[in-house]
Order: sequence, then C-alpha cells, then structure tokens
Amino acid sequence: MAKTPKPNFIATLQTLVRHNVDFIIVGGVAAAIQGATISTFDLDLVHSRNPENITRLLEALDELEAHYRIPGAESLKPTRSHLESEGHQLLMTRFGQLDLLGIIGSGTGYAELLPDSIEENVAGIKLRILKLAAVIRTKEQTGHDKDKATLALLRRTLEERNKSRK
Amino acid sequence: MSEKDPEATVQMPAGRSDEPVFSEDGVDLTLIRWMLSLTPTERLEVLQEHIWSIMRLRGEDTET
Repeated sequence: MAKTPKPNFIATLQTLVRHNVDFIIVGGVAAAIQGATISTFDLDLVHSRNPENITRLLEALDELEAHYRIPGAESLKPTRSHLESEGHQLLMTRFGQLDLLGIIGSGTGYAELLPDSIEENVAGIKLRILKLAAVIRTKEQTGHDKDKATLALLRRTLEERNKSRK
Repeated sequence: MSEKDPEATVQMPAGRSDEPVFSEDGVDLTLIRWMLSLTPTERLEVLQEHIWSIMRLRGEDTET
C-alpha cells in the first residue's frame, strides 16, 4: 500500500507564505485556530485569483509537489486555468491534503471574504483566517450534512469566545 | 514542529462552579474552554497531533 504523506499544516502554510501567496484559511482549520475542538484532515484555503497571485501559487504548489487526489487523476497537476476558476481543487501534497477553493458558501471569493477575515500570528507566520462567525455562516449556506453536524460545536465555540472577551 | 510526549498530561483550566459543563445541545463546553485557553499556534498543534494519533490508530503507513 502506498504511503500517505504525514499531514503538516504548518509546513504547507509556511511554504505558501514564503511564496507570498494571498489566501484565507477557511473551514475546519480556521475554526480550530479560533478554539473549536474540531477534527479535519484537510487544509481548506480560498486563494486570490488575480494573475500575479496565481503565478506565485503555482510556484508554491510545485514546491509542495501538489497533484489531484481524485482516483485516476493522481498524475494531474493543477494548472493556471484550474486555479483561475471558481471550482474546488482537491489536492494531495508532500504535507497532506490541500483544498484550494475558488469560491465558498453562496459564491463568495477571496475579495468578498477579506472583510470577514482576521490576521493571526501562528507558528511565527502571519496568516489570514476567516472569522469564526463567517465560518459558521458559510457552513449554514452550504447546507451539507457534514457541515450541519459541526454547527452546534462551532456556535458554542463562538459564544464561549465572546464570553471570554467580556 | 516536533511531536509532543504522548504521555504528557493535558492541563485543563480551572472552571468556575457556576459554569455549565455541557450546552443545551450537548456540546462539551469544558473542552472548548480548554482550547480557548491555548494560543492559536497551540490550537493548531493540538489539531495536528490529533490527526496524527488517528492515523496511528488506523495503522496508516505515513511518510515522515
């Protein structure tokens, strides 16, 4: 059986930051960084789809040895046109699963998400993270069963965060 | 990032006696309060170590 890359979120993020890629961490990892006791194996990012950023992102993905993880398409590497699209690129890298999302929720992209994001210093790097309230809103909009299953936990985490700040 | 000692104990923050332990919809609030007592870096490390533990339990052969 083929070996699975050992997931390393910090190494993936460090690589993207070193290449000056503009992105926002969304989904389970964004929720966990903000205190949710959630488990996820993939790192979900919404990237800026402007041409210069796509160039930097392609360089970072090359270093990460990124390829599609869809069965039968493992030899395919993401291209500029893939990354310029609104679609979801489900990738495997040398540091584990990486999902690059053109848009999320009800069709929201990087520029629209920026006001709903915060900058956090994580492991010595500055990262842009979708605010927990916006993570909840996105999961509500998506309406998938797997997203609904985590909503109670995320809502209670947001309440506890707000209480602890008072 | 290095793996922490799996035998290490987790230091839970002292809770107030008037704080509920579970929410009405059954969420364990003590775990959330513990996560919130950590720094963002520590929270990401908790997630990372949790999924490594799951992979070890599953017997997955991982590249290091």
